[in-house]
Amino acid sequence: MDDSLVIETKDLRKRYGERIVAVDRLTMQVRRGEVYGFLGPNGAGKTTTLRMLLGLIRPTSGSARVLGAPPCRPEGLARIGALIETPAFYPFLSGRDNLRVLAGHSGAPESRIADVLEEVELADRAGDKFGSYSLGMKQRLGVAAALLKDPELLILDEPTNGMDAAGMAEMRTFIRSLGRGRRTVLLSSHLMAEVEQICDRVGVIHGGALVGEGTVDELRGRETLWLRVEPLSGAQRLLADFNGIEDVATVDGGLRVATDPSAAAAINRALVEAGIEVSELRPQRASLEHVFLELTAAGNGEA
Amino acid sequence: MRRSVAVELFLLRKRASTWILLGIWTTLATFFSYVLPYVDYRNGEASAGPGVVPLEDLVPHSFAGHLSEGFPFFGGVFALMLGVLALGSEYGWGTLRTLLVQRPGRLRMLGAKLLALGAALVPFVLTVFAVGAVSSYAIARGEGAEIDWPSAWLVLRALAAGWLILAAWAALGVVLGVLSRGTSLAIGVGILYALVVEGLISAFADQVSLLQPLVQFFLRANAYSLVAGVGATTSGATGNGPGAFEGPYVAPEQALLVLVAYIAGFLVLTGFALRRRDVT
Repeated sequence: MDDSLVIETKDLRKRYGERIVAVDRLTMQVRRGEVYGFLGPNGAGKTTTLRMLLGLIRPTSGSARVLGAPPCRPEGLARIGALIETPAFYPFLSGRDNLRVLAGHSGAPESRIADVLEEVELADRAGDKFGSYSLGMKQRLGVAAALLKDPELLILDEPTNGMDAAGMAEMRTFIRSLGRGRRTVLLSSHLMAEVEQICDRVGVIHGGALVGEGTVDELRGRETLWLRVEPLSGAQRLLADFNGIEDVATVDGGLRVATDPSAAAAINRALVEAGIEVSELRPQRASLEHVFLELTAAGNGEA
Repeated sequence: MRRSVAVELFLLRKRASTWILLGIWTTLATFFSYVLPYVDYRNGEASAGPGVVPLEDLVPHSFAGHLSEGFPFFGGVFALMLGVLALGSEYGWGTLRTLLVQRPGRLRMLGAKLLALGAALVPFVLTVFAVGAVSSYAIARGEGAEIDWPSAWLVLRALAAGWLILAAWAALGVVLGVLSRGTSLAIGVGILYALVVEGLISAFADQVSLLQPLVQFFLRANAYSLVAGVGATTSGATGNGPGAFEGPYVAPEQALLVLVAYIAGFLVLTGFALRRRDVT
């Protein structure tokens, strides 16, 4: 395994019974020090993949290596912090005591407990029973538990679930800060804005398979120009022969022109000189949401 | 491993169910071993008819053996529930995956839980024996009977036998909790096994000789046989109650081996199931 890779899977597959394929020949790589977004709709296979990476469930076929070792090895798990799905803790224990139990099992020093509670801003309520926590507080305790071992790799599954807008914004900033430096973060989410704001690279999973992977910029593609012009067909003919334009397509009642946006002024001039009315001209880039919908639609065979 | 066991003991100590089971078990054991028999004795003193517990069973000299009669079935059911709760609850709360992503291997985590559970059974035995000793002393004082304690060796053996019986039932609870990945079904099946399977087959063993060899390997038969070796009277197990046992008894040495084999078997099965199955 390449030392720069923290997670590497090859043709990972998980099948339940004869009909349900939760994860289908998933091949992905997460590099050291990056925040990798694992983006997919609910039921896409994200959590199943994460469970396999943590050794909670066995793959039907394929292989995975996490921090250089097969999943489930205690020596590997010692360097991983994880929050999988809804945080699960003992309801009759306080937040602090829950972390004490986990520290006892993981070998993390007890002195870390106060630190991580402080980090997730739960120190004030650490003495309260977990059962009395709001969903947002439970999520924060889950993140605190994941940080207990000061892990090299942090796996967070929908960490902003149940949080209000302010809590989500705080958590995103916090996760971004966790990903600085040597630590690698694998963030699973179905929220595009979350992934767009936090992640260096994104893998899009749909129907258990990876349907796209790259940086947010790579996935969104190059910036293009979008024009509202009249008449449309005349403008399209003119621009098709224009120097430096790679492609002209009709999109949303206007023209999408694949070219360097710096050519906007020259294009505008040429159109006006040809008697074509230009009522709108702006640079345009596909949103991650648009790309995501295209990728998942392609996965559904709709493209 | 030491820290893992320590936090598992901490968990058991913090759980209300541990204290509730200990409280009910101690109260009922005292009630059925001393309060009820003593009332029965007082009422039947004049007639001294059959079925009345003799005073000599209720005085300190007999307390170790007399208390041990409650362990094979009655104490066993409490230990079964404790065992189910120790592992089965982890599935219900989803905490098993929280623990397993921390670091310990599955078997190491199971080992820590089992050691803590085994240690938690010690107060279950000691408390009942302590309360039983006090009760027998009080009865002897009240009746003006001689206060003569059994030998320390006998008490120690009775304590060990009691612990081993509870451990066997707790191990059954553990395996049922892991196999059913929960508590409700495991407790139901466990009690069903104790009452119906072992209870009814034991009851019919007298009439159907074919069943006798089978009964000899039941938890109930071996547990009663083990306590018989530390002074429990065989008449204490007879009657119509759910824990009734009319025999056949086996040698205490065989009982010891069978119970140890039960514990080992249940734990191996638990380890196998925990190691092989997905944790969702």
